Amino acid sequence: MSTIAVPIVFKTRLVRTELVKGLRLMWRRRSMVVVGMLSYGMSYLGISFFIGGGHLVKDLMVRTLPALMAVVVASVATVEGVGGISEEINGGTLEQTRLSPASSQLQALGRMSALAIEGLAAAVVLGIVFVSVVGLNFKLQPAVLIPAGLTILDAVGYGLVMTAMTVRVPSIGAISHVGNMVVMAFGGMLVPISFFPHGLEIFARFIPTALGVQSINTTLAGHGLGATWSDGTLPWLLVHAAALLTAGFSLYAINIRRAQREGGLSPR
Amino acid sequence: MPDNKAIEAIGLQKTYRRGAKAVEAVKPTTLTVPWGQVIGLLGPNGAGKTTIIKMISGLITPTAGTIRVGGYDVARQRAQAVRQIGAVLEGSRNVYWPLSAWENLMYFGQLKGLRAAEIKPRAQRLLTELGLWDRRHESVGSFSRGMQQKVAVSAALITDPPIILLDEPTIGLDVEAARTVKDWIAHLARDEGKTVVLTTHQLEGAQELSDRIVVIKEGEIIADLPTAELLAGHAENRFEIRITGSLNGTVLPAGARVERDGDQTRVLLPPNTDDRAVFAALERLGASGSGLVSVARARPTLEEVFIRLIHSDPADHRERAAEVVA
Repeated sequence: MSTIAVPIVFKTRLVRTELVKGLRLMWRRRSMVVVGMLSYGMSYLGISFFIGGGHLVKDLMVRTLPALMAVVVASVATVEGVGGISEEINGGTLEQTRLSPASSQLQALGRMSALAIEGLAAAVVLGIVFVSVVGLNFKLQPAVLIPAGLTILDAVGYGLVMTAMTVRVPSIGAISHVGNMVVMAFGGMLVPISFFPHGLEIFARFIPTALGVQSINTTLAGHGLGATWSDGTLPWLLVHAAALLTAGFSLYAINIRRAQREGGLSPR
Repeated sequence: MPDNKAIEAIGLQKTYRRGAKAVEAVKPTTLTVPWGQVIGLLGPNGAGKTTIIKMISGLITPTAGTIRVGGYDVARQRAQAVRQIGAVLEGSRNVYWPLSAWENLMYFGQLKGLRAAEIKPRAQRLLTELGLWDRRHESVGSFSRGMQQKVAVSAALITDPPIILLDEPTIGLDVEAARTVKDWIAHLARDEGKTVVLTTHQLEGAQELSDRIVVIKEGEIIADLPTAELLAGHAENRFEIRITGSLNGTVLPAGARVERDGDQTRVLLPPNTDDRAVFAALERLGASGSGLVSVARARPTLEEVFIRLIHSDPADHRERAAEVVA
């Protein structure tokens, strides 16, 4: 047998291995990502025209474009996460990956890191297209990286919860589709959630990415991180992202263990 | 190696819950495989072979019992135990089809904790020996079924594990591809000293490769013997006459069995036929104009023994097993 690396080095390498595999698989299926981007881009454009009464209202789009980008990250994490695991269960590669000494959470971390990069790349491309074609004007500042990073974690956490459920719930495809529609409707992509009636605004704050988009908008409006921290959006975003990630990783480990008990790592 | 046992399963049992019903896939089973042995795990579909293979590899958690692989407890020392194993699992792709053969080997090697520098020479050797080197950068999805299976075998061997679990590795392969995989299993066992657990429905191959045969029926081991001993145990005191052409109306003793085998005819005389009756039958066959090919004491094939075993009463096996233990 060859030498075995010390655990922490092995763990780091394993996350990188999963990440590289995920990106390679993504590259092989890049046409799917492009189709998804086009679909979201066209929907956003249509909705923006509709809401603007046949015109593109730039002031409004400046506040809804971050939501579109967040929805794209969440959607890629969910669709690719759910589809990837389903395919691996049916193809038998999930079982082969479980013949690794690594824990299932560590493998999930690598898998979701790849999806985060994939989603972010798609979102950035869409963002650049809208900014340059429509002529939107953003006052970018380094402070926005904090709520943006947390929004990505929030979106990936949501994707991980859905991915984890795939191991147990056969109809997860339909559930995740409905979930993504809810994120699109209530996450601020149609209109900023501050425009919602009070009750609906409270509800929307529980929806993945919604708090993040609100926090990004506050920061981009030039109020700084202090404002989004003091109005409670940033701390709640932190809690929301942490809760989703914790739920996702725990659910993934629990469902893998349960699948091992029930013989569910491969098609039954 | 901690002891002489590559695999040790004690009191292994698996029950699945299907709604209110409990399905006993594997009844309490004890199985030990010494290092370097090739064991053929045979049984009809649904007998529990795959469940046993997956419990050994830690992919299915047993309802009861313990499994040690290379001396490591699969439940408590999973990380060490899975490092001892390479597996090709039944009815699945085993590797990522959108990735190339090279990318798959690098991925599965790293997944087990090896560095790229350690994997590369072994990947090169495996792909060269299996005739895939020139196409290593092509996606596995574009390969023939036989080539895909070779990639799966390479991925299972990439970390050079001492124990190989092969769950129907030749299923769906054409004759030539199945032959290559079979030759490789023989090479792994004889030249590299690997411990191999093999499940297959191709009993001729199992007879050729296995040092020992374990037959499972309805989740229960009904036979567990060295291959030669199992065949000898089911040998009958009967003669087999091979002739060219057909019988041409020759009258044979009652209870004789006749089978066509290519351009030959195989005549299996009834059990306990005495020598005089054998000579008489030969005389009659000679008189009919048939050419004699051979006369020998009949040796059952593994397929014949297997069919006999799975159609017999399980209670007989339990009694026989109890006698052996006593």
